[in-house]
Amino acid sequence: MIMNQIHFLRRILVSLIVILIASTCFGLVQARTTESVSFLMAAPFADATQDLVKQFNREHRGEIHLHVIKGPLETEAMSDLAISSLLLGKAPFDGLLMDVTWLPKYAAAGWMEPLEGYFKQNDVDSLATGAREGNSYNGHLYRWPLTADMGLLYYRTDLMEQPPETPEDLVEVSQSLQKKRKVNWGYVWQGRQYEGLSCVYLEMIDGFGGDWIQPDDNQIGLNLKPGVEAAAWLQGLIDQGVSPKAVTNYAESEALQSFKVGDSAFMRNWPYAWAELQKSDSAVKGNVGITTMVAEPGRSTATLGSWGLTVIKGSEHVDAAVEAIRFLTNDSAQKQLFLKSGYTPTQQSVFDDPELLQQSPILAEFGRALKVVKPRPETPLYAQVSDVLQRQLSSILTGEQTPRIGMDRATSNTNQILISAGDRP
Amino acid sequence: MIAFLLLPALLLLLVVFVGPLFRYAWLSFHADSVVTGLIAIPNGGANWLRLVQDQRFWQDLGQTLRFSGVSVGLELILALMIALLLDQRWRGRDVVRTLTLIPWALPTTVMALGWRWIFNTPYGPIDHFTRMIGIGSLNILGDPHFTWMATVWADVWKTTPFAALILLAGLQTIPVDLYEAVRLEGGNAMVCLRRITLPLLRPYILLALLFRLAQAFGVFDLIQVLTGGGPASSTESVALYAYWNALRFLDFGYSATIIMASFILISLICVVAWILLQIIIPTHSKSQAVVEP
Amino acid sequence: MNRRFLVGLLLLWSLGPLLWQLYTSFCSDQALTQPFASIDQRWTLIHYRNVLTANPPFWRYLVNSLLVGLSSTLLCLVLALPAAYALNRIPCQLSIMSRLALVGAALFPYVLLFLGLLEFARGLNLGNHLLALSFPYAALSQPLAILLLNNAFNDLPPELEDAAKLEGLTLFQRFRWILIPLISPATASTAILVFLFSWNEYPIALTWISDSSKLTLPVAMARIAGSSIYSVPYGAYAAATVLGSIPLVLLVLIFQKPIVSGLTSGAVKG
Repeated sequence: MIMNQIHFLRRILVSLIVILIASTCFGLVQARTTESVSFLMAAPFADATQDLVKQFNREHRGEIHLHVIKGPLETEAMSDLAISSLLLGKAPFDGLLMDVTWLPKYAAAGWMEPLEGYFKQNDVDSLATGAREGNSYNGHLYRWPLTADMGLLYYRTDLMEQPPETPEDLVEVSQSLQKKRKVNWGYVWQGRQYEGLSCVYLEMIDGFGGDWIQPDDNQIGLNLKPGVEAAAWLQGLIDQGVSPKAVTNYAESEALQSFKVGDSAFMRNWPYAWAELQKSDSAVKGNVGITTMVAEPGRSTATLGSWGLTVIKGSEHVDAAVEAIRFLTNDSAQKQLFLKSGYTPTQQSVFDDPELLQQSPILAEFGRALKVVKPRPETPLYAQVSDVLQRQLSSILTGEQTPRIGMDRATSNTNQILISAGDRP
Repeated sequence: MIAFLLLPALLLLLVVFVGPLFRYAWLSFHADSVVTGLIAIPNGGANWLRLVQDQRFWQDLGQTLRFSGVSVGLELILALMIALLLDQRWRGRDVVRTLTLIPWALPTTVMALGWRWIFNTPYGPIDHFTRMIGIGSLNILGDPHFTWMATVWADVWKTTPFAALILLAGLQTIPVDLYEAVRLEGGNAMVCLRRITLPLLRPYILLALLFRLAQAFGVFDLIQVLTGGGPASSTESVALYAYWNALRFLDFGYSATIIMASFILISLICVVAWILLQIIIPTHSKSQAVVEP
Repeated sequence: MNRRFLVGLLLLWSLGPLLWQLYTSFCSDQALTQPFASIDQRWTLIHYRNVLTANPPFWRYLVNSLLVGLSSTLLCLVLALPAAYALNRIPCQLSIMSRLALVGAALFPYVLLFLGLLEFARGLNLGNHLLALSFPYAALSQPLAILLLNNAFNDLPPELEDAAKLEGLTLFQRFRWILIPLISPATASTAILVFLFSWNEYPIALTWISDSSKLTLPVAMARIAGSSIYSVPYGAYAAATVLGSIPLVLLVLIFQKPIVSGLTSGAVKG
């Protein structure tokens, strides 16, 4: 009985090996005539660029074939996948669509091809101001922006004439609307322990006049007055009932869900939410305005979060990859992405296009917000630094520690990370 | 000639088991991270100093120990009950034994995905149940107080069959006349369990305990897929933290330090657990003779 | 009846979660959110269609896992059989020492090896080569395999080999024609345990393979978990868990005897 099983297994194994060898030979015989380039993109981007890729392949038939590998949906999962591919040596893709915060890490690891030889000063000048940020590290250009992204404050135009400008105003307006039972909640935002929380916090610490990590001298500002104030304000939103308790488990989609059904007066989110709110199933369609985050006068910022294309070092198709990047980021591609998927353009000329502006006036608002963008700390250690902040903020928001203590802890942990990485004496 | 037969296996074992350990020991005294351009530079004991001060490591260690202790404890108790049930003779016993083995054979990640749905709030059956009996929604995978219990549950479900099978093998070596003797002296089932079953099962319990303890301490698949370490890092295990450090933070020096520390700790824990169990379970004079043929 | 109740409980505990996944996998998305309410359009095969027509299709992962499982098992046995035989023929003290070391290695939580093995794969450029995985897998299952096979060799009467020696058979001939056939039951159970391990292994496959068409089943499942394209993706998850479970459920049902005997003989003699 058992001997029979072994014979059976052996037979299967032999036939499998034969199939394997045969298919390899077949693959080798098929000669390649066109240069094949592949980009790894997170799932939503892979879907959104599908038409553009087809168009590109039509125009370059016989020369270049662009193939987009569809990655996971979540940014973190996407990053894990890209890193594990790159760590193994030869990555199975030539280009990577990269979030703004990954760049210093990937650049320091030596995984990216510098692009300054391909994109000249006049190319850079054609970008909108905010879109020029976060593409370089240590004096090299590594990334060319596909779409700009920045944190925005969404408000209900049917409930107020003007959006609030300061944190106090926002609380006041919210509470009066809640008292009048116009909305259940005042303000919904991203309070879950993940990268979105760091983005929310960055806008607040800047709004209160502080800095997460000072770019010039690496000074940590988390436990200084503005840092603690920002954390205390966010926590206060939950305490005062302006934000629901469940906000501590909210990511973008949960916040959008609450705002979309008309449950709340304000929402912090990215530009993509605009298109969602204009769909027919939205209860607030036509009653939404956008502005930048509330802050002390003159300090309003928008967290920069953009996606850009990079070329992987060691790729044998750098020229072809750059050609594809140029195509995917040119004016007409950006218009198409904006109109179809609501992606914010990066080329200044698209923001200035009168026809487009008439078609969707909101573009002007995006352009205004893009002027006050603020990058998150640009260090290869960003993932750890942000992780530390998220942990402490999360336990502040859930009431497990006071803002003061939490921010002190976040500061000392951040310091520890910077020291042990040899980033400071 | 004999050496020639042993050599290939030995070589492979050295490369895969011993090699990494030496490499970790070496790496743990080096900075090898994205900041150094992924090149190892000696940094004295900085990694170890950081480990000692790293609240997150100690929190993860505590969580890992809680997970291992509770799930191995529950597993052994359940496994003993299952083994006693399967040791009796009844119709369909072999079929049931085979069916209970299924959870053990499935890849952890497959059912971890399943558990995510079963523990889902508000659509999973567990949440329906707690609401039905009036406890209300527990938000199992969103509330740090409950999430670790969910991971224990999923782990116990998967690994109990293995422990049960080992204990069953032990039970089947116990001669029936020993029980008869106790019954003749007027002892009931509990006495049998305490005086015969447990002492004679001792080597099997030890084996199951040590194996499961070491594996539970290295829990990784289940946590990564079921909770990703969340919420609020309340289910993160040391293995997962080491993994994040290497593949997310690109800090190989520190990752190696965490692994090295975990290795030392789990070795100590196994020794302590072994000694403790030697003391706790009463010995039976005949046990040695019976078990070692 | 008391026992019947306990057996029922045991089966519910063991199989309940699987059955729930099976049930979920046939439920339409609306039905998923109200599992106990009565809905018109409850049953659907859409989840299976989604999973099977995804890119790459689900069966690809099964084939990958099968390939890795078979090659690892083969490599493991080729190395473990001679070693297990030789272990009885070295000085007694050394033999006991190595057996203890093997037990230690079998207990070792191998997930801790991932970083060293990752560096190994980087150094030798083994990443994204499916069959290269058999190398660590064969090594990791080596301790258990050697211990199990060594037990089997131990059980053979020594006179047998002496007689063969007198006949003038060489070591290889004795091995091939006498010893291996005699311990084939133990070899079969070892092979199945090694296969199960290789099929189920996750951390090393996770770090060695990133190309989505080369993923093994456990890694593919985890990646499905991290990349939900559907709003309520649990139907697709459930279909994936069911499809991923079927081969192993079959394996356990068909090979339950050698599996059980492998596990228990390891326990009894180890």
